[in-house]
Amino acid sequence: MSEPDEGLRILASPESAQRISRRAFMSGSVVVAVAGGSILLSACSSSSSAAGAASSGAASPTLEDQLAFLHWAAYDDPKLFKKFTQEFGPATSIDTYASNEEAITKLVAAAGSSGYDIVVPTGPYIPQMVANNLLQELDLSKIPNFKNLETVFTNQPWDPGNKHSVCKDWGTVGWIVDKSQISRPINTWNDFIDVAMNEASGNFSLLDAQNEVMGVYFWANGIDWTTTDQADLDAYEAWTLQMAPHVKKFESYPGYQFASGNYALSHVWNGDARQGFNSFKDPSRYSWGMGAPKTELWMDNWTIVQGAPHPEAAYAFINFILDPANSLQDLAFHGYNTGITGVKEAAQAAGYPFLDMIFFSDAQLATMQAQEINAAFDREVQIFLKMKAAAGG
Amino acid sequence: MSALEEPAKRRRRDLVDVTLRVWGIVVYAFLFLPILVIVAYSFNNGRAMLVWSGIGLDGYRTGITDPTIQDAVKTSIVAASGTALIATVLGSFAGIALARRKGKWTVLFLALVFLILVTPEIVDAIALLIWYVRIGGPFGPNATIPAVSYGMLRLWAGHSLFATAVVTLIVRARLQGLEETLEEAAADLYAPPARRFRQITLPLMFPAVLAGALLAFALSLDDTIISSFVSVAGASPWPVYVFSAVRNVLRPEIASVSTLLLMLTLIAIASVALVLRRTGQSGQDVAKTMTVGG
Amino acid sequence: MAQRVADSERGARRIRAPRFAMALPAWIWFVFFFTLPVLWIVYYSFGYKPDIFHPIATDKLSFDTYHEAFSSTFLHVFSQTLQISILGTALCFLIGFPFAYWLATRVAPRWRGVLLGLVVVPFFVNFLVRTIGWFILLSPNGPVSSLLQRSGIRSEPLHLLETRGAVQLGVVYNYLALMILPLFVTLDRLDPAMREASKDLGASRWKTFRQVTLPLSAPGIVAGLLLVFIPLTGDYITALVLGGAKGNMAGVMVASQFTIAQNWALGAAQAVILIAMIMGTVAVFAVIALAIRTIARANRKITLPPIVEETA
Repeated sequence: MSEPDEGLRILASPESAQRISRRAFMSGSVVVAVAGGSILLSACSSSSSAAGAASSGAASPTLEDQLAFLHWAAYDDPKLFKKFTQEFGPATSIDTYASNEEAITKLVAAAGSSGYDIVVPTGPYIPQMVANNLLQELDLSKIPNFKNLETVFTNQPWDPGNKHSVCKDWGTVGWIVDKSQISRPINTWNDFIDVAMNEASGNFSLLDAQNEVMGVYFWANGIDWTTTDQADLDAYEAWTLQMAPHVKKFESYPGYQFASGNYALSHVWNGDARQGFNSFKDPSRYSWGMGAPKTELWMDNWTIVQGAPHPEAAYAFINFILDPANSLQDLAFHGYNTGITGVKEAAQAAGYPFLDMIFFSDAQLATMQAQEINAAFDREVQIFLKMKAAAGG
Repeated sequence: MSALEEPAKRRRRDLVDVTLRVWGIVVYAFLFLPILVIVAYSFNNGRAMLVWSGIGLDGYRTGITDPTIQDAVKTSIVAASGTALIATVLGSFAGIALARRKGKWTVLFLALVFLILVTPEIVDAIALLIWYVRIGGPFGPNATIPAVSYGMLRLWAGHSLFATAVVTLIVRARLQGLEETLEEAAADLYAPPARRFRQITLPLMFPAVLAGALLAFALSLDDTIISSFVSVAGASPWPVYVFSAVRNVLRPEIASVSTLLLMLTLIAIASVALVLRRTGQSGQDVAKTMTVGG
Repeated sequence: MAQRVADSERGARRIRAPRFAMALPAWIWFVFFFTLPVLWIVYYSFGYKPDIFHPIATDKLSFDTYHEAFSSTFLHVFSQTLQISILGTALCFLIGFPFAYWLATRVAPRWRGVLLGLVVVPFFVNFLVRTIGWFILLSPNGPVSSLLQRSGIRSEPLHLLETRGAVQLGVVYNYLALMILPLFVTLDRLDPAMREASKDLGASRWKTFRQVTLPLSAPGIVAGLLLVFIPLTGDYITALVLGGAKGNMAGVMVASQFTIAQNWALGAAQAVILIAMIMGTVAVFAVIALAIRTIARANRKITLPPIVEETA
């Protein structure tokens, strides 16, 4: 019904939609002026010693002694956290979640008392989080490394001007299959569903995130997954109840689990799949497939929680992670494109494995579509919970 | 009983005896199996718990030096100490009242205590989270109590519920088992109530109070569900850390630290048992006191 | 009695504190941190979820949320939970009773304390960590699976994890001690003289067991059954770690309304239903037990013939 180009329109006004077309976003041909020029240039040239410049906070504000993350799991190199603590001081702590819904619920329930400083939501969820006072406005002058981001990854429709978020990374979704257990090739979501209900029945996992499960159904059936049509949702619900008995587990991080032989087929994000591949003793036994004919484009963002007890430390960290050297190290760990200028070339030069699972061609990008939080959201969440209930027994 | 029957009975007795003993051993094996697995995997030198990569002390090294784990264990111990204190004080007095000052109120109070013991912990956890956020005050980020974070206060209050209920029952059971004759004798000898309490009742209660404190400490260390719902970043106890790890990647450090904690707990219990033994309790009495007096 | 004597001797000018005074602090603590929060949850169960980002609204109270909570998919989880918990409790009893009996009657008294302590030692390991132990054991590339595959008994990895069976096993393990302890205490208290007397009167071992030991240990049995059934039904962790999608239990379902869906009204309603289900089941079994006891008593009644004076 709608072209991939309209996917990003989401909550942006029609005028801005004209401005941002899919190809423009992806090809990077549109250059948007980024605020704060001079400091950025000097910092850019000495990227490798960026760390040294920020040592001991000589001219920077005093940092608090802690930094609390509400974060996805296995999403940043633990060594980078240690490096941050060594260079800047704050000790880091991480509590994890498996889906945006879980993160938001935690913040809403705590009503500002959660004690977290940084949360990493996916783009489409941000406007509502802002409207409900969950996120702080960002002072970009405290994040000089912001200029390292490729401009197409800034100024998104869900957060114009990067008032509340800064790109962490972006990625897509697909599947891993154990070829020694499933001999059939899986090329599309329909193949995925078919194998899941047959050869892999009782032995496959779906992501523990309602929007991802929703995507599987809608993409397989050629429906725009931003639909709010009740008939579409009814059909989705009926499908979930059919699919439920075959699911072994709802698992958002199956990458490592795959090596343990827990599943024959897993619904997985590309970076997590790559982490799995890095740990497989025999990678040729497995195969990663990007969703087809359509799949997701999601972008996760660094945001600062409203009422964060350690905001200066939060700014220091975000700036730290946007440094190209640190960003490259992070990318090598989590396997998602961090959007920093030149990171793809740097990764290729460093010879990191499985780069095809991080960087995608224009043709692949054209099949990716972002999510939209709309009126159907509540119903979709309940359908998901009902599916979990129906999966038992 | 004819002479013919006796040997038959003796044979059967042996069979039943043997079966029972075998069953006893089987049950012990069943009970200790996962514990042994955890201890075994604590020596896994690999990154992921489930992927065995040789024997070594890497897990212990990481477990002891990792600042997040150190924090979590510290939080757990502080939370447990506070809980033990609260539970022991509140529970002991309540137990005394239940045993020595029975009245119409007893049934109501006991009903409340039992209600606490039977409510599913998940319901407690959810109710407390919503409650803490609702009342704010010392349990919210605008708390002004010095030296104690509001996260720790949340843990103390949450953990102490079940613990206080247990201590109440232990102390009550212990005092009910002892007649009031000693206290009455002291009263007859003109001892004022405070002195009676200090010199007669308290020493009599001591084993139960000690056992109760220990149990409260252990219960708080173990508390996972309430902690994971009400805990605040920076005051996350150890079980919450483990819970997080279960849902992403399990690492051998978890097994290592758990083994260490188990050793510590056992040493603590052994010490308490020794103390109780010294005060004249038999081994059985000690065990019975710690299992809520039966 | 003695106290009143002592007081009156001192002249009863002292105002006696009420009898429950010492329990008052605990009482207040309980009410403030248990009763009120739980009542608040019950209050929320009559509310509703107004929009995406607001979890609860209570301006319009109704039973609507209960209608939703009684939908067939959710009821299915409640029924599965009940199946797991009843079977689990029964298994705990079948495993625990012979063990407690052995410990109480066949083990020398001086060892009983130590052996009982030994039972409790595994339960001083964190609940979650114990469950992880089973997670490792049942894992497709864990020790059991590898052993079975290497010895040729199985050709493919063990698929026990993330199933209902795994949850069943896990809950029996996690709550077994709560069955053994009260059973042991009661059986230990039983005077062996009772059993001996029964044997002296000619009863077979089985009859002694059935008509003397079992009835006398009834309080312990009841305590054990309750102590296991009630927390087991509300179990959250075992189901979450071992169950995967198939081992869903009510506790997990209630929690997800609070951790994922932000629908506090629905979660509260489900929590209330869970509690009601637990109490209801206990009540049903209590009635059945009482009925059985009445019938058994009636059967055992002996009517003595009227005494006839023998003439000398």
